[in-house]
Amino acid sequence: MLGAAISPSLSLLLWVTILGSARGDDQREVEVGMNARIDQIVIPGPELEVIPHDDRSRPIVLRITATYPHGTNHRYDLVYSGLEPGEYDLTDYLRRKDGSAHEELPEIAVKVTAVLPQDRVRPNVLTSSESPSVGGYQTLVIVGSLLWLLGLVAILLIGRRRKLESEVTVDRPVTLADRLRPIVEEAIRGSLARERQAELERLLLTYWRRRLDLESTPAADAIQTLRQHPEAGELLRQLENWLHRPEPIGEVDVGALLAPYREATSDAGEVVPAS
Amino acid sequence: MAVEQDREAVTKGTIQFIEAIRERVGQVVVGQEVVVERLLIALFTGGHVLLQGVPGIAKTLLASALSRAIDLDFSRVQFTIDLLPADILGSEILDQRVNEFKVKKGPIFTNLLLADEINRAAPKVQGALLEAMQERKVTIGGETFTLPAPFLVIATQNPIEQAGTFELPEAQLDRFMLCHRLDYPSPSQEKEILRRNASLGVRRSDRGAIAQTEFDIIDHEPVGSSEQLIQAMEAVHHVHVSETFIDHVVAIINRTRSHPNIELGASPRAGIALIKASRARALIQGRDYVVPDDLFALAEDAILHRIRLNYEALADGLSGVQVLQSLLNDLGALVD
Repeated sequence: MLGAAISPSLSLLLWVTILGSARGDDQREVEVGMNARIDQIVIPGPELEVIPHDDRSRPIVLRITATYPHGTNHRYDLVYSGLEPGEYDLTDYLRRKDGSAHEELPEIAVKVTAVLPQDRVRPNVLTSSESPSVGGYQTLVIVGSLLWLLGLVAILLIGRRRKLESEVTVDRPVTLADRLRPIVEEAIRGSLARERQAELERLLLTYWRRRLDLESTPAADAIQTLRQHPEAGELLRQLENWLHRPEPIGEVDVGALLAPYREATSDAGEVVPAS
Repeated sequence: MAVEQDREAVTKGTIQFIEAIRERVGQVVVGQEVVVERLLIALFTGGHVLLQGVPGIAKTLLASALSRAIDLDFSRVQFTIDLLPADILGSEILDQRVNEFKVKKGPIFTNLLLADEINRAAPKVQGALLEAMQERKVTIGGETFTLPAPFLVIATQNPIEQAGTFELPEAQLDRFMLCHRLDYPSPSQEKEILRRNASLGVRRSDRGAIAQTEFDIIDHEPVGSSEQLIQAMEAVHHVHVSETFIDHVVAIINRTRSHPNIELGASPRAGIALIKASRARALIQGRDYVVPDDLFALAEDAILHRIRLNYEALADGLSGVQVLQSLLNDLGALVD
């Protein structure tokens, strides 16, 4: 019973809803640039289409989004937007698909309104103003240039001083001959301290190793080779007699022994490495 | 004057003694004259020697031949991972007949001990041996025993196989007076080794026979007595060391401490070893004074195992020998 009473009410509600949605929008007034819809409008006669745009001067842009047969007529969903404010008839932008005349069409009047006031045709004019001054660009350029120059001069001066300092140390490398000559002189004069006798012997050994190109030979082998050399061997034997024997055999003539080394030269470019 | 003449006679006798030993060892071992010299140096100075070399280059034969030549007791211990200090030093054993503990002395109680592959034993065994080497005394069960004199340890180390070994730390290495690196024999020496080996026959034993080895041809009759050995040790102490020579040694040792490629320089013990070894070498060479030749000949054996290269040198691919040789080469040119 109750179901029988409810069912006509529901059917009525459904029909109202369908009709409401079928009617759709009918926006006859729109602002410039905005889209508006006119749905389900019945226009008598054969089917219409939008006259294609071939220039940008037309104030209305129109599209037919859907066409439905409506008896001998047709029903349309239209979307349009206005580019210029004013009142327009949308039928001016339609034509028959079959090419026949359509003077009898009812007017579809729309109004395009402008948001801006009537006399406003351009954006606001930009106004320029002076930026706050921090001493002036010119002053900044001058001060910056002076600082840059001062920095450059400082760098150049420090670099030159360092170079000069390094030149002082590297300029005059001590050679083996440089070290040998004074110590030989002292030994010949008889004023060589006992502590420096070992240094003299090592210098002479190195001198001969360089002279005979034995620097890459193991030390034990090199000294054996030196012993076979007539000049170096005799020197080693005399040094041995002088410096190592508990009681030297005969008198060692240190002057004669070391005389050849008074004018020792750098035979092998013997720069003394820093210790 | 009479003292000097006696000393000359002793020196001549010592030189003959040394020559006889070298000749006797040379009958069994081909080449390796330098190693024999180093062993004699250690024997005459009471030092110990570490031999580094691959297996099969007559290290054991050499030690055995040397001990027989001077009538010395000889023991050989093969060091392994499971060796215990008691296996070398000895231990107390319960004598069940009298129900008392009795000391059983280990193989260290000998004149010449060959510690084969010392780096294979655990550090506690190495430590026990090296302590005994240093103190020449062993304590077993609360009782201290003095080791026989002379007492020389010849330890060997294989430098190639490092898996399962315990590298001797620098402090332990420092106890070895010399560390000599053995090389393979020359081709001519190797030919002689093969020739001699081929001539070895077969020895009859019980009801069978055993192929003879070089150990079988070692003459058991000693060519020198322990008295001659003592005389040689005394003669070493009479070898003159000049102040100049000491200055050279100090210069080398100091240089190892400031060398840019060396992280750990040589200890004062290195200098002591260098001078002791130089004196013994001078005696072996028939001199009563040391010369720089001794220093340069022994520097590698006395110093190299006491220094450690730094990371930069190792990264540059430098070896200890290269660094030491460069140090010796530059010695005269360096500012002291």
